[in-house]
Amino acid sequence: MTTLRYVLRDMWRLIVHQWVLGLLTLITAGVMLWILGVTSLLSLNMENLLAGLESELAVQAYLVKDNTLDVEAIARRIQELEYVYSIKTFSPSDSLAKLQQKMGSQSRALEMLGDNPIPYNFEIHVNSASDVEPLVEVLKAMPEVDDVVYAGLVVKRISALSRITSRAALVMFLLAVIITALVVYNTIHISLYSRREEIGIMYLVGATRAYIATPFVLEGTLLAFLGAVLAAAGIIAAYFPALELIRENLPLLTNIIITDKTVIWRFCALLAGFGATLGWVCSYLVVARFINSMTRPE
Amino acid sequence: MNINFSGVSKIFPPDIAALVDINLNIEQGEFVYVIGQTGSGKSTLLRLITREILPSRGVASVGGYDLKRMRNADVPYYRRDVGLVAQDFKLIPSLTVYENIAFVMEAMSVPKRLVAERTKDVINQVGLWRRRSMRPAQLSGGEQQRVAIARALANSPSLFIADEPTGNLDFHTATEVMKILFAINAAGVTVVMSTHNQGIVNASRQRVVELDGGRLIRDEKGGTYTS
Repeated sequence: MTTLRYVLRDMWRLIVHQWVLGLLTLITAGVMLWILGVTSLLSLNMENLLAGLESELAVQAYLVKDNTLDVEAIARRIQELEYVYSIKTFSPSDSLAKLQQKMGSQSRALEMLGDNPIPYNFEIHVNSASDVEPLVEVLKAMPEVDDVVYAGLVVKRISALSRITSRAALVMFLLAVIITALVVYNTIHISLYSRREEIGIMYLVGATRAYIATPFVLEGTLLAFLGAVLAAAGIIAAYFPALELIRENLPLLTNIIITDKTVIWRFCALLAGFGATLGWVCSYLVVARFINSMTRPE
Repeated sequence: MNINFSGVSKIFPPDIAALVDINLNIEQGEFVYVIGQTGSGKSTLLRLITREILPSRGVASVGGYDLKRMRNADVPYYRRDVGLVAQDFKLIPSLTVYENIAFVMEAMSVPKRLVAERTKDVINQVGLWRRRSMRPAQLSGGEQQRVAIARALANSPSLFIADEPTGNLDFHTATEVMKILFAINAAGVTVVMSTHNQGIVNASRQRVVELDGGRLIRDEKGGTYTS
């Protein structure tokens, strides 16, 4: 407890001693973490959107007209494929009823067809949009399958969009992390360098490396944490008004994007935790390196 | 704390022999002057004792610690038992006299109340209590040296290393500093002090270790210093 009090006091001295640099670090870390947070939220919303669309994606497989086919066995074989999330079997009569229901008042036109022309068919849901193409290939190769119907172009576009969004988010995320890490690293390095003589004296009179290092590590952690809190405040200040705008102008989207306040608050708490961890890691690395080099005997 | 050097050499890169084959034994409670011209190896010898540098050859042991084999984690604990006073004082400019002394104990997690008591004690010992709130830049050279001595005393060390502590001081102030060092030695603390000051060495007739070109050329009890 005594050590903690001394260490916290020394950390406060470090911050006060170089408050301009500290403030600049805090602001830069805040801006970068805000970009990181916004990109992550955007990416999460895109994922939500794509997941929503993907859940609607279905491949319709029509079997050949053959009364000897073991429809249940075929369904089981398809269900075992790695791409398949669920499969639903429709008999010819079920399919016709469904079609009649869809056609509504025009359903009488179907009576002109005479015998029910629709064969046994499956409605297959996939795990993700990227699974559609390989599944279709497998289905087309099956002799029992007569035809496969799916929204090919939509699937391709959704897959491509999903890949681009993920990559862009990853690039932005990495950039923001690297810049924040560099800013914290440099600030602590400057702080250490300006106090190198003091560090040398402290070590010479019997201070442990941990005692010397801890205030610097805490300084970096605190600056990055406060930067992250600033970023979280910026996100909350921007996200909820943006949500209101979307509600007014694009109400359909409100079912797909994240509107739950608890999720956003949790996300912000996570961002603050991430900022503190990033600050701790960077500070620890620079302090360990600096103090090792300073205290190594010749 | 006794000091034992056996065949100790220190060679700095590329090939500068600062100390050559030093054999030296200093017992607990001794007062030893290390003398010699500039570049003779005095500071190197003291820096070996404080483990700022390691011997290139030989065995240097202090208080039972083999300095070369000592683990890095043990160094701070070893140094807490070695008081150090340097010619350039090595005080922290941003801290007051009081803080400069107190932080040595704070680094050992000594509770604040005990730090306050001990700091007051040692500042009084060097006669600077009225200047406790000043920063080093506001003090004279002699006063700064007394602060450095007070700081070295804070942890009640068993070994006191003084590297030319009177080097920057006038005769009167140097005499005051020496009085403090003798008082420390009288309390049973081993004192090893390097100096150029013939007057000081000749006035007290303690053990004298003389170095020349990194070699120990004289080790004499009650010795004098003649150039």
